[in-house]
Amino acid sequence: MRLNFPRACRPQQWRPIIARRTYAFQAPSGPIFDVFNRNTKWLQKERAAANVEHSRQADYLKDEVAARVCDRLQDIKRHFPRALDLGANSCNIARALSRPTPNHDNPDGPPPRPPQPSFDLVLSNLSMHWINNLPGVLAQINSILKPDCPFIGAMLGGDTLFELRTSLQLAEQERRGGISPHVSPLADVRDVGGLLQRAGFKMLTVDVEDIVVDFPDTFALMQDLQAMGESSAILGREMGAIGRDVLLANDAIYRELHGNEDGTIPATFRVIHMIGWRESDDQVKPLARGSGQVNLKDILEGGK
Amino acid sequence: MQPNKVRPIQRFAQSVSKCSAEATVYGKCIAADYNSVHKDQCVKEFMRLKDCFLAASKTSK
Repeated sequence: MRLNFPRACRPQQWRPIIARRTYAFQAPSGPIFDVFNRNTKWLQKERAAANVEHSRQADYLKDEVAARVCDRLQDIKRHFPRALDLGANSCNIARALSRPTPNHDNPDGPPPRPPQPSFDLVLSNLSMHWINNLPGVLAQINSILKPDCPFIGAMLGGDTLFELRTSLQLAEQERRGGISPHVSPLADVRDVGGLLQRAGFKMLTVDVEDIVVDFPDTFALMQDLQAMGESSAILGREMGAIGRDVLLANDAIYRELHGNEDGTIPATFRVIHMIGWRESDDQVKPLARGSGQVNLKDILEGGK
Repeated sequence: MQPNKVRPIQRFAQSVSKCSAEATVYGKCIAADYNSVHKDQCVKEFMRLKDCFLAASKTSK
């Protein structure tokens, strides 16, 4: 019997149409976007650290935030035998606690991975805004904490340096007809909550503080940022220094748009404080949905 | 970097600080229409600022 296959289906005619087949794949933990150039950041930190005098002078921001992190730490009435300061900078937290130096680690790299949860406390002071894979690092922090132990961190985010960002954009747009990134993209407050949740932290606390520092001019601001080791390290930035024309225009625009009346210029640093706890069985947990017995409306409206 | 050497950026900042009047004019020009800034929008004001800056940087040397 002769079967009438349609032409395309005749077995004799089958040929490999595509000689090589590539597989679609899925990354195990979602795509990781590289935002910052880690090598550049390392060079900048080295450079800043090489000038000890100036970089200690520019430590005011980190010292201030370290003191605020310590305030939050002292709210927790507990003893922490083994603490990790992730991205310790110049050990600002340790100095704020006026204790001998605790363990500290290079902020650029991922934290070392101890075989089992081994830390009673992880602190991080103003170094997480340079991490490329923030979800991954937070998950690792969660995994090295012992159960029911806190992570207390502070990072720059949101509208940090928005004055510098906007005036540089305007200056470049007017002088050169285009803009290139100079100020990092930063995590927002609501992003941080989501990130902590995704990393598996429980009982989250996230709050924001604005610290406004006044500088005599934009050059002083940029010099201090350099001395802090916080110069821009975005991938895809324009290499080399900002041109003289743009700097000149930037100073004028910054002063006009944001300047104070006394001739100084403000720079906003928005610090996001976060506290998350490693999950544990004996922790207080929120009740299941729908298990509430009291109507919130009665309480809020005075029992009407 | 030697500690007592003046960085070029400090000399730059010093010269810029002598041109605050021109800088204000230029800043006002940008701020007047900062939502649609295009290239050379305030080129006249900028050139005046730059001339002042160049003159100032010459005298300070």
